[in-house]
Parts: sequence; C-alpha cells; structure tokens
Amino acid sequence: MSEIVTELVQTRVGKVQVRRGGPGGPDAPTVVYLHSATGEGEGLPLLTTLADTVDVVAPMFPGFGESEGIEQIDDMDDAVFHLLDLWDVLELDAPVVVGLSLGGWMAVELATRYPERVGRLVLVNAVGLYLPGAEIKDIFGRSPGEMAEDLFADQDHPIAAAMHAMDALSNDTTRSGEIPFDLVRPIFQTMAATARLGWDPYLHDPKLPKRLWRIDSPTLVVRATQDTLVPAAHAEYYASHIEGATLVELDHLAHLAPLEDPDRVAEVVVRFARGDA
Amino acid sequence: MRIFSFHLMPYPGLPESYDGPAWVTCPNELFDPAVGQEIYNRYIDELVYAEELGFDGVCVNEHHQNAYGIMPSPNLIAAALARETNRMKIAVVGNALPLYDPPTRVAEEFAMIDNLSRGRLIAGFVVGGGPEYYSFSINPAHARERFAEAHDIILKAWTEPGPQEYIGKHYKLRFLNTWPRPVQQPHPEIWIPGAGSLETMEFVALHRYAYMGIPYFHRRVFERTFGMFRDACEREGYTADPLQSGWLTPIYVAETDEQARAEYESHFWYWVRKLLPGITITPPGYTSVRSLESQMKGAGTFAVNLQTWDEVVEGRYAIVGSPATVFRQLEDCISSFGTGNLLGLFQLGTLPAAETRRNLELFSSEVMPRLHERFPVGHPVLEPNASEGAA
Repeated sequence: MSEIVTELVQTRVGKVQVRRGGPGGPDAPTVVYLHSATGEGEGLPLLTTLADTVDVVAPMFPGFGESEGIEQIDDMDDAVFHLLDLWDVLELDAPVVVGLSLGGWMAVELATRYPERVGRLVLVNAVGLYLPGAEIKDIFGRSPGEMAEDLFADQDHPIAAAMHAMDALSNDTTRSGEIPFDLVRPIFQTMAATARLGWDPYLHDPKLPKRLWRIDSPTLVVRATQDTLVPAAHAEYYASHIEGATLVELDHLAHLAPLEDPDRVAEVVVRFARGDA
Repeated sequence: MRIFSFHLMPYPGLPESYDGPAWVTCPNELFDPAVGQEIYNRYIDELVYAEELGFDGVCVNEHHQNAYGIMPSPNLIAAALARETNRMKIAVVGNALPLYDPPTRVAEEFAMIDNLSRGRLIAGFVVGGGPEYYSFSINPAHARERFAEAHDIILKAWTEPGPQEYIGKHYKLRFLNTWPRPVQQPHPEIWIPGAGSLETMEFVALHRYAYMGIPYFHRRVFERTFGMFRDACEREGYTADPLQSGWLTPIYVAETDEQARAEYESHFWYWVRKLLPGITITPPGYTSVRSLESQMKGAGTFAVNLQTWDEVVEGRYAIVGSPATVFRQLEDCISSFGTGNLLGLFQLGTLPAAETRRNLELFSSEVMPRLHERFPVGHPVLEPNASEGAA
C-alpha cells in the first residue's frame, strides 16, 4: 500500500488540506477524489489503494476536516470557483475527477462550466438532480442510525455500527449526556458545510439538467445497487444525458460504496482512469 | 418586576394513539377545525382576562407547522388583543425574522400593532426555532446573517427618515420607507428570546435589548444562562438591568399543593409527551460550534426527557402548588436568576378553560402582589446565594 501525505495548501478562501500519494512519473494518471458529505479522507483505504497505480489528489472541501474558508462559500457556484482556484494552485490541468455523492455533484458542476479542466469524469452515487418520483432521501433531519441503513449495505460495518450505537445512546435519556462532543463536532461541521451547498434547493441545482450537454470528457457513472439514499433514476439520468457516458453497477454495496469496498471501487476507477474501459 | 401571562396556544386534540413528533411532519389531518375555532377564541379570552387581573402584559409567539403552538402569525393575535385591551403591554416574542422576505413586513406589522394599541407593543425578534428551518426550507447556515440584516432593516426603517436604501447580502431594498411608523419613539422596547446560544446573548448585550430565557431546562441551566448573559453585558462595559432579562415558566396555583398537582399533572404530561417531541431538531449550521458545545451541556436536562413528577419539582420545570408554595419557589428561582420579567404560562397542554381561569385568578390575587412587592422595579433582583436555601 502506498503512502498518503497530507499537506496544507493556501487558496483564496484559506488553507485547505490535500492528501496526495502515488507512483509519479509520466505514465500515472492524476486522479482527484472529491469526498461526500461524510468528509471521508483521513485514513481512507480507497486513497492508499488508488495510489498504488495512479497519482491521487484528495482535497478536503472548506468546512470539512481542517480545511478553512466555508464561511466564504454560500452555494455551489462558489464551490466550483473554489475548485477552479484549487486546480490552479495544485497545477492540475485536466485530471480524472472522481466524486462521491456531494463530491460527484461538484464534479458535474465543474465539468459543465469548465469542461477543459476535467479529463475524465467518474460519478459515484452522485447527487445534484431533482427527479420527481425519485427524490433523494433526507440527510439533514434523520438520526445516524436511520442514515446508516441507506449508507451501508452491511450494517455490521464499523461505521454503521457506530452510527447505530449513537442512536442507542441518544434514545436513552439517562445516557444521552455521554455522547462525547468530539464525536459530534465533525458530524455537526460537515453537515453544516453541506447545508450551505444543499439545503435549499435540496441537494440539487435546477439549472444542471440543461447544462449537462456541455460535458465533453469521457464519463463513467457508478451506481451501487443497494444505495437507498439516491434512487437509481439519478445514475440513469446522468448516464443518458451526458454524451457517451457509461453506467456501471456495483452490487452488494450502498451509498458509501468506496468506504465499504475500496478495492472494488478502486479497480473500476483505475481501469477507467487508464482509458481501459 | 413585571409579570406577563404568556400563551403558547397549544393544540389540545392530538389523539392518544399518536406518538410522532408535534413538529414539521406532524400530519395536519390531525388538526380539527371544530376544535380550532373554539380554542383560538378561548385562548384570546384568557389573554384578555390578564388585563382585568392586573398583569403587566401578555406574550404571544410564532411557530409554524406544529401542534405545540398554533400561532403561525402572533401578529394577528396581537392585533385582536390591541382592540380588546387598553392598559397592558402586548409582547410579541417574537417574529422569526429570517422567515420574512423581505423583513420590511415585520417593521410594518409591528408598527401597525403599536398604533392600534396606542403604544403598548413590545417587539420581539427571534432567529426562529430549529423546526422552522425545515418547515420553511430556509437555509439554517444563513440564519444568523439573515437575522442580523433583518434586524438592521427594521431598526433603520423605524428610526431613520425614508425613503432610504438597504443593500445587504440577503436583502436588497432600493426603497425602504415603511408606513406606518411606531408610536413609541425611537422604537418599541425590544426583546430577544434565546435558548442559550452565545451569539444571541452577545447580540442582545451589544444592543442593550432584553434577553428572554426560553424553557424548558433544569433551573441550574437557567442560572448559568442568565449569568452568561450578565457576563456578556459586562463585556460590553455595563451592568445588566434586571428588566433586561426574563424567565418563562409554567405556573399552576390551587388551594393546596396536593390539589394543584392532582388538577395539573396530566395536562403537563400531555405537553411533555405530545407537544415537545420534535422541538429539539437542530438543523446543521444553525448554531456555531462553540454555542452547540455550550448548549449540549444543558441538553440532557431539556424537559422532553422528563419521566417523573419528582424531576419536574426538583428541576423547577413547572411551579405548581398552593399560593405559598408557588410564591416561595418563584422567589427562590427569580432571585437566583436575577430576572426582572416573569413570563408565566398559565395554560399548558390540555389544561381546560375553567382551570386556566382559576389559575390566573389565584395567581393574580395571591402571588402576583407579593412578587411585585418583593422585587420592585429599579432594585436589584439577583441574590447569588439564594438558590441553595429554599426547597
């Protein structure tokens, strides 16, 4: 497994964390990973696996992890300009961009506006659309335990189990004070940052569908078949409205597929990044 | 001190079988207009009665899409009260400023009430409860910014000659020129209710408004909250006046302690178990991290967690008993909180009309005069060591 190093990079909104790793050299494609509302990145096995064969760049969005500047970002428009800024600072020309959920939405927004800055696009269980009859389930008002049912196929996964444990604690009024604030703080911060981008309209951009035609990079749409947070119609819509896009389904996985089976997701991403599929 | 009768206007008809939240997603099929037309009129009568009984004022407040308090527009109720009363203050605590777009509407309606009542309005501004951000799809991340801008717009509209312009981040008004203007000059007294967030206290301290401690916590949480507010005033370079703070609490008076509990307890539990569930939902970004950490210290003591009557009495979640008991417990709490305004909830949950009226009558005849005498306006209220002694 390859080493991942974390550096702080100065952007216009403040310092942001960027995790990097990989073999380097002219043959290794650069893959940018945009995280979901979960803020995954620290110790994420997907990154070390990817770094065996590609150069991984995983920025933490402002408001997530130690990254500063969320107070200067009010909406997805600001988010895209932040990415553009980051691309320049990191001297990324047109990398492969992989986005999970919220990160997928950001990747699509970037690719519709600045298609020349996205070499290849991989959307994993991406949000960003409103499809009547196939609404994205609520993420802002439900308990961790309820959320875990949508996020993980295996409820015994350590993170899913921890989410259920938080429910058990908060439902027990004699013990609700026992939930450590250090556990609550990152959830609170990541959800607050996500709310800035996706509270209203809820996790979508009404203007996105009429702009999808502008994406000209090869695109892979990945859908985990047990993702009950984002209905299948969303992946199907992206796949059928982005020119030449391919849809791949991963069975036995749910919304946070890259956390649950990093090897399988990495394999799909690497093959596509190399232009093999 | 000043004593107010506060009405939540709760919906008393949730079925026994319903165990969901009273907020945001509580099905509106459960609202029966046959009940509604009775209780709205009854509740207004109870508020009007307060003037006859000698209260200093009444309070109404704003909540949306819920059974806990069916006053989405407290301004409508205040307008009715303005016509039906002549002397007492009418406190609207408050209008949830970020929910009005543009907030010019609040400046207009409050000024209307102040004119209608011949200068008796107390203007409350509130950020709005967590559930309201779900019910209105307003971004909670912008709650504080919108509140601050809306506040500036209203004060500008009331105190500076129009037409003028206000260009902010969230509101852009090329012609700000509200009619009518308020009777009270430069503007009506302003109250800000808060649930313990530091930002709110600092805002109130800065502007020298009054901070109303919102229920429903253990008394030690209130002691801490009002102490934090006084500290915030000290940081602004002045000592808070007791009239700059107020405490809201359910009160029930009967002839004896036993009778009071027997008449009151089931109605109190309807409020705790039917109407409070869902009130604590906290949208992300609505509170700063430092406020959340501070508030979490008291969260376990929020009334929705109450299980037994002993807990209610011990934590002073409601002041219930004979006139002597109620006076003693209120005196004890008030002197340890240092609050110069008492906002009593004399109707709660399913408490019926007859009991509510008798409660108001007994309180106003047996307790209120003693409180007025014990805590005269213009004198200090806080007695730091008062809390430990009395039971």
